Amino acid sequence: MTKQNTQPTRLYVNGAILGYKRGLRNQYNHTSLIKIKGVDSKEEVDFYLGKRVAYITKVSTPGGKSGTKFRVNWGRVCRGHGSNGVVRCKFARDLPPQSIGGRVRVMLYPSRV
Amino acid sequence: MGFSRYVEVGRVVFINHGPDAGKIATVIDIVDQNKCLVDGPEEITGVQRQVISYKKVSLTDHKVNIQRNARAKTLKAAWAESDTLAKWEGSSWAKKLEAKKKRASLSDFDRFKVMVAKKQKSRIIAQKIKELRA
Amino acid sequence: MTGRLRVLGVAGPKKAAKASSSSPGKSARYYPADDVPRPKHSRAKKHNPPKVRPSFVPGTVCILLSGRFRGRRAVFLKSLESGLLLVTGPYKVNGVPLRRVNQAYVIATSTRVDVSNVDASSIDDSYFARAAAPSGGAEEEEFFEKDAAKAAIVSDVRRADQKRVDAAILKVVDATPLMKNYLGSKFSLNKYDKPHKMIF
Repeated sequence: MTKQNTQPTRLYVNGAILGYKRGLRNQYNHTSLIKIKGVDSKEEVDFYLGKRVAYITKVSTPGGKSGTKFRVNWGRVCRGHGSNGVVRCKFARDLPPQSIGGRVRVMLYPSRV
Repeated sequence: MGFSRYVEVGRVVFINHGPDAGKIATVIDIVDQNKCLVDGPEEITGVQRQVISYKKVSLTDHKVNIQRNARAKTLKAAWAESDTLAKWEGSSWAKKLEAKKKRASLSDFDRFKVMVAKKQKSRIIAQKIKELRA
Repeated sequence: MTGRLRVLGVAGPKKAAKASSSSPGKSARYYPADDVPRPKHSRAKKHNPPKVRPSFVPGTVCILLSGRFRGRRAVFLKSLESGLLLVTGPYKVNGVPLRRVNQAYVIATSTRVDVSNVDASSIDDSYFARAAAPSGGAEEEEFFEKDAAKAAIVSDVRRADQKRVDAAILKVVDATPLMKNYLGSKFSLNKYDKPHKMIF
């Protein structure tokens, strides 16, 4: 059972959910804005374009084949947003409003290096 | 304690921002409260004579002995005489920048080697401390 | 020529070849008595295998990003016809066997291992095909036992190939100091690592 306790390898970058793409009065729930940690400029966004994003939630009823208590909503980084390293992401299901301010994992794949 | 680095003619500055970021230059003249005229000299540091905002520069400890609005030629001579470039490169500031640059250019395998070397170093240190304590 | 246009009255490929060789410029003298089935012109697209990124050169050390070997470093041997990459740990060093991976889930590093003496020519996509499951006749007991974890059976051929490839790579790996430890270690992002600024 020590296998579970080996040193964890993190192969993703954390991102924060800022909200939805929006105008002054309208909000477009189909696209979420995400700030990736350590990315602060337009140029740095390029590495993350197309990368998979996972929004992970814990639920009370186990689901899936393995009976996991975690549920994942997968998405992708579509494009940059503004000039300070924020990105627009689309998810398989639109993110719920309570996710705003929450965390997502930005995976390192699909890799282009 | 007061200030020891002043914006003055002959002050060597480090450029933080813009196309010349990472290079050093000399203050040739002071334009106003916000900007000054700097010159590399271009042949030594690669910075052309230009007006630059104080926001984009950091002052260093080094100073060159020149007149206000000195020509490029005199400036170059003054740098050569005081050996300013060598002084800058010998400073811990420049060394840190160099180290940072080098670290950023390392490949994955190189980073692994650094990690191993670091471990070895700390092991030696820990052993020595243990010996001294005993 | 005739493949595209369905011209009636033109003989089948064999006869047409004969006719054209004997009397050029003349159409065939006989119609075939039976209908010669000719394949219909199809617009079905043929998918070409994806191009492998130029950063993958045989011998490139790469980082696996997903799956059960995530974080492991492995040596890229060659790209297969399907566009997948053939990698190996080597198995002896980090437990990654001869394996196919999708290039999207792999980071290529700039580190190279000389694999010119590794013979992987016998390994292609069909090498990894699963043996057909014995059809029918599954006993009830066996059915229930299926859920229990069965030890993976590794065929002798694979075992031998792994050994052979490992031996060849290890010879080179041992020549470079720290390379073996490097391949045995896992890649992980640390607190202040920025992958977009890293050079691999």
